[in-house]
This record gives sequence, C-alpha cells and structure tokens, in this order.
Amino acid sequence: MMKRVPRAAAAVLALTLLLALCGCGASDGKTHLTFQTWDVAQRDGMQAMCDAYTATVNPDVVIDVQVTSWSEYWTKLEAAAESNTMPDIFWMHTDQILYYADFGILADVTDLYDSEDPNYYANHYSDISIGNASGTDGRMYGVPKDRDNVVLVYNKEMFDAAGVSYPDETWTWDNLTDASQKIYDATGKYGYMAYNDEQLGYWNFVYQNGGYILDPETNIHAGYTQPATVEAIKFYVNLQKNDWCPDQNYFAETSPGTAFFSEVGSMFLEGSWNLLSELKNYPEMVGKWDIAPLPAAPNPASGDGKATISNGLCYSTAARGKNLELVKDVLRFFGSEEGQRIQGESGAAIPAYLGLEDSWTTEFQKFDYVLDVQVCYDQFETCVQYINNATRRKWKPGVADEMVKVYNGADIDAQLAVMQAIADRYVETD
Amino acid sequence: MNKGQKLSVAARREENWGWFMIAPTIIGLIILNLWPFVQTLYASFCEHLGFGHYKFIGLQNYIDMFSNVEFWKATWNTVFFCILTVPVGIALALFVAILLNAKVKFKGGFRTIFFLPLVCAPAAVAMVWRWLFNGEYGILNQMLGVKIQWITDPKTAIIAIAIVSIWSSIGYDAVLLLAGLQNISKSYYEAADIDGASKVTQFFHITIPMISPTLFSVLIMRLMASMKVYDLIYMMADETNPALVDMQSLMYLFYRSSFVSGERGYGSAIVIWTVFLIGAVTIIQFIGQKKWVNYDV
Repeated sequence: MMKRVPRAAAAVLALTLLLALCGCGASDGKTHLTFQTWDVAQRDGMQAMCDAYTATVNPDVVIDVQVTSWSEYWTKLEAAAESNTMPDIFWMHTDQILYYADFGILADVTDLYDSEDPNYYANHYSDISIGNASGTDGRMYGVPKDRDNVVLVYNKEMFDAAGVSYPDETWTWDNLTDASQKIYDATGKYGYMAYNDEQLGYWNFVYQNGGYILDPETNIHAGYTQPATVEAIKFYVNLQKNDWCPDQNYFAETSPGTAFFSEVGSMFLEGSWNLLSELKNYPEMVGKWDIAPLPAAPNPASGDGKATISNGLCYSTAARGKNLELVKDVLRFFGSEEGQRIQGESGAAIPAYLGLEDSWTTEFQKFDYVLDVQVCYDQFETCVQYINNATRRKWKPGVADEMVKVYNGADIDAQLAVMQAIADRYVETD
Repeated sequence: MNKGQKLSVAARREENWGWFMIAPTIIGLIILNLWPFVQTLYASFCEHLGFGHYKFIGLQNYIDMFSNVEFWKATWNTVFFCILTVPVGIALALFVAILLNAKVKFKGGFRTIFFLPLVCAPAAVAMVWRWLFNGEYGILNQMLGVKIQWITDPKTAIIAIAIVSIWSSIGYDAVLLLAGLQNISKSYYEAADIDGASKVTQFFHITIPMISPTLFSVLIMRLMASMKVYDLIYMMADETNPALVDMQSLMYLFYRSSFVSGERGYGSAIVIWTVFLIGAVTIIQFIGQKKWVNYDV
C-alpha cells in the first residue's frame, strides 16, 4: 500500500501539469495572435492598431504585442524559425529580410490585396518601401510598415551664441564645417559630431557626392573604390581630425546623441524614428534644438548633391504559420489606410502609406516647441534606398571591421581596397 | 557489482530505483550538455547555410581559423586575460579571506561587502564600471588626475576588463578560501607560536599547505571562467570600439562569428578550440597539483 501513494501522487501531479499546459490556450473562445517587435517606444502605437483590428474587423481575434530588445530579437527569431514556432506577426528589418525571404521562411504577401486592387502596393507605397519589403526574387515578403530618413539635428542656442545662422536646405558640406569651426571657437562646444556609422554616417555622404556603396544598376557590385565614394568617405572620416569633432575613442564611449543632449556638441545626424523619444527623454532640452535637411555635397560627381538614406520596416509572417489565412487578414488591415493612420497618429513612425505622412505630426504638436518635421517629409524627394543585397549579411561585419581600422589611423585608400575585396569575394562565389 | 551474479528481486528493484532517482540529472545532462556538444563538434566541420541547415565541408573551418590573424590575436588575448586575472585575483582573494578570518569588528559586515559584487547582475556591474572608466567624465580619471581612455585604448582595454573581472570574482573566491581557513585547527598555530615561528613562516608552512585543496579548486574554477570570458567584453565594448580587436576573447569572437555574421560552423570550430585549450590547461593542473596540493590533513 505504501508504494501506491507516491505513484498516485505522481499521477495527480502529472495530470495537474498537463491541465496547466492546456490552460494556456484561450479560454475566452477567441483566437490569440502574437506580434513581436523590438521597440518599446512603439509598443502603444502597435497595440492601438491591433485593438482597432479587433474592434472594427474581427472581434474574435486578439493580438498581443510583445517587445524584445534589438540585440536579442534576431537570435530569438532565427531559433524560432528553425523550430517553426515563430510569432504570428513580426517586424522585419532590411538588414535581415533577404536572409529570411530567400530561405523561404517568410510568407509571400504579394497577392494580399489582389481582390481589392491588383496594383495596391504600387498605388499606395513608394518604390523604396516596396523594395525594402521585397525578396531577391522581387516578390513581397512583408507589408510595408513605415519609412524614415536621416536628418541633421542642431542645437539652436549654440548657433545663436556663435552668431551662425541655422542650417537650411541651402547648406553644403562647407557650411557644415564652417559652422562647426565657428561654434567651437565661440563656445568651446563640439561642432558636427561625425562618428563611425553607416546609415547615420558615411552612407549619406557617399550618395550625396554621387558615389555608391552598391552599384545602383545591378545592386551586386560594391563601390568602395569608386572615386566619388572614396572622396566622400575621406571627407567624412577626416572630419574627426578637426578640433571641433571628437575622435572615435570618444564616440566608443559616448554616442553623439548622448553628447548632443548633454549639450557638449552642436550637431549630429539622427534617424527620424528617434526624434519623438528624444523629445520625451530630454524634456529640459525641448525648444533648444531643431532639425534640418542634410547638407549637400558641394561638388558632386553626379546629381544635385542631395541624398539621405531611407529605410523602412515591414510586417511579416511565417510561410508555415499555423494561422496563416487569419494572419494575412490582419496584415491586410495593417497595410490599409486605417491601420497606417493609427500608427502615424500614435507617433510610432512615419507611415509607409503615401499621403499619410502628416498623421505623424500629431504627436509632435503636443510639445511646447514643435520640431520642423516637414523636413523629414520633404527629404523623401531625395532619399536613397537603404543599402542591402543578398550577400550583405556576409560582408557587412568584415567591412565594418576594416572601417574601424580606418579610424585607428590605417591608410584610407588601402583599407577601402580591402573593403572592396571583402564585398567582391561574395559576388564571385554566388 | 560482478557480472553474472544473480540479483535478488529486492536488489534489482533497488537498482532500478537508483537509475530512476538519477534519471532527471542524467537525462538533463545528456539533453542540455552532451548532445549540444556533439552537435557543436559536427557543426565545426560544416558550413552554416542558414536556419539550421548545414553542409559538410571537412576541415575547412579549422584551416580558415588557424590561418586567421584575428583568431590568434583572440587566443593570445584570452591567455593574457588569464595571466592578468588568475594570479592577481586569487592572491587578492586569499588576502581578503585572511583579513576576514582575523578578529576584526563588523566581520559580518565586511564579509557581506566583499560578497556583494557576486549578487549584482553582471550586466549592471559592467555598465557601472563603464561609467567609472569613461575617458571624459569617468570618476577614475578624475581621481587619478589622468586622462586615460581605459576602454578604447588598445593598451589598457584588456587591463580594464581584467580589473572588473577580478573585482567581481574576489568575493566568491574569498568565501571559499575562508571556509578552508576555518577548517585549519588552531593547535597548529599554537604549536608554531611556541616553537617561535614568525607569522610569515606560519603563513607559508601552515596556512598555504592546509588550504591547498581549496586553493586548487578555486584555481581550476577561476581559470576556466577566465578562459570563457565573454559577458564583460560584450557589455563594455561596442562594435565600433577601436580597441575591440585588442580585447576580444575567443568566446567573444565565437559570438561575433556565430550570431553576428551567422557563420555558425566557423564559430563552432572556435568553441572546439577553446574546449581543447581549457582541457589541456586543466590536465596540466591536475598533473601539477601532485607537487603542491596537500590532502593529508
């Protein structure tokens, strides 16, 4: 008899655990979908959009927004893809989409709106948004979410103190360096803080100068040794040799944003997606700063010298997802005018849906000082699609390592040749 | 037990229960440790195509690895990090343990203070030290009146990491050594006092031999931990840190290969190399211990 007791206890325990497992399923008769993102600042906006779906389209579906940090996001998502346990909906970034899409992980959503309008994407989204959401085969593997670009952030008080007029659309690189020098001389504060970064750094300068990172024709061959590219990268890297710009040692510990909002520097390049959270995080700085278009290249090899890198995220789902049809319906809503407007008005990001840009202004108007966000909208005229191709995932780390050596004092021409070779290595093998 | 010997029903039942009782641990070890190790070993001979698909490429990863300058630099960094942290760390821990074993006021308070770093999350520790080390605003430079770029200067970066590592591990090692010290019978010291031995002589001829088994365990553990250093470097250095190549350890290089570049085969080869290094060092230590570790108490 004594033996029976533990066995009975074990059986009860096992049964309880099993029941607990089943208990995780929805008991309210509704379908629960998971929606994975990496930006806490956009959580409320995403949840508002999901709640709108439940309220207006399908009351039987409840979507839970989850947030993981950017660094963990991709490790988790890849592991989930391998075990076919991906979230029902997730954000996809340009850096990663080709890896996932070309491997067949993502569901093809090209035909999502066919019943409504076969040219839906082309009619409502820019070519860049569509490009950022496409696989190498040209099919759509995500519904465009937002679009962004890079702006020049400047400290008005420091400009006033140095008697320099604020940056505007007439500015060139020469104005940038002149103003930096004057501000440094007058106030002792840093001028333009040029740090080692691609999207918020040298890429913009390369395209302004008429150069390229990837050949615009084929998007295969790198252009690190192309003359206009070389000239722009040299200009950008050498900015750190000026007294008015901190060196890379400084930036390795203190980001330009931190330096700017601690009022030790007067200018830096920032992505439009960060502006709102910077207004919120630094309330005492509101009114002291504003944004301007990126300065143009003074003597571009081609073009008018204006360029800004534009990226955009998209909403994707797994090709082998369990609730694929249901999720597609949700994605259809996310890409609709209504869904995109809710995202814009929540301040989360500039909607990718053309014509809705202004909805993003709403959230900025709640501050005592309203940033000149029109700059972001106007700059879409001159924007360049975020640099990416099927092999970039492989050459990106190598190129970044070589760039660090440039900042450590290695010869720029020699390093650019090495970077070119690293990028080319993957072209041949493919 | 001898083969062929027939077991009584009761004995067999008892044996079965024995297996049953250790099953959770053994199954856990096989699933969580042994099987991943086998997989890592296999992956090190493969190229990772993406999403868990591998292609067998033989020794290519090892050939690439051994001909890579960055890899040898990382190996040296790891060895150098051990040289920096292990002797100094253990000597300091022993010193602290002896102080804590002495008759001082607030002994409990001191013990708590020294043990505190271990209770803190490593990420938080690293973030705080990053600010202490900051070249522009760091309190360390302010106090010393110098302007050293601790974390971004290739010469000091690894030393800075070593300081944080020693600081966080001292408490744990000291507590282990303290336990060893308290096991030493007072009569040895009393006898030594009567014979007129100085405190220094007592330390080298009584204390050290008596706690040598504990010291040996601490040494093994500290060396393994130092060879596997990763989290501190990850937290304290960004991707754009100019000194990254001069401070990255093997485990950090593995992380970058496997999770940043997605080359998991190559990353696995680095892991196998690290396992080999740790194994070799540990074997040497177990042979060496016969010379200095004293087990007859």
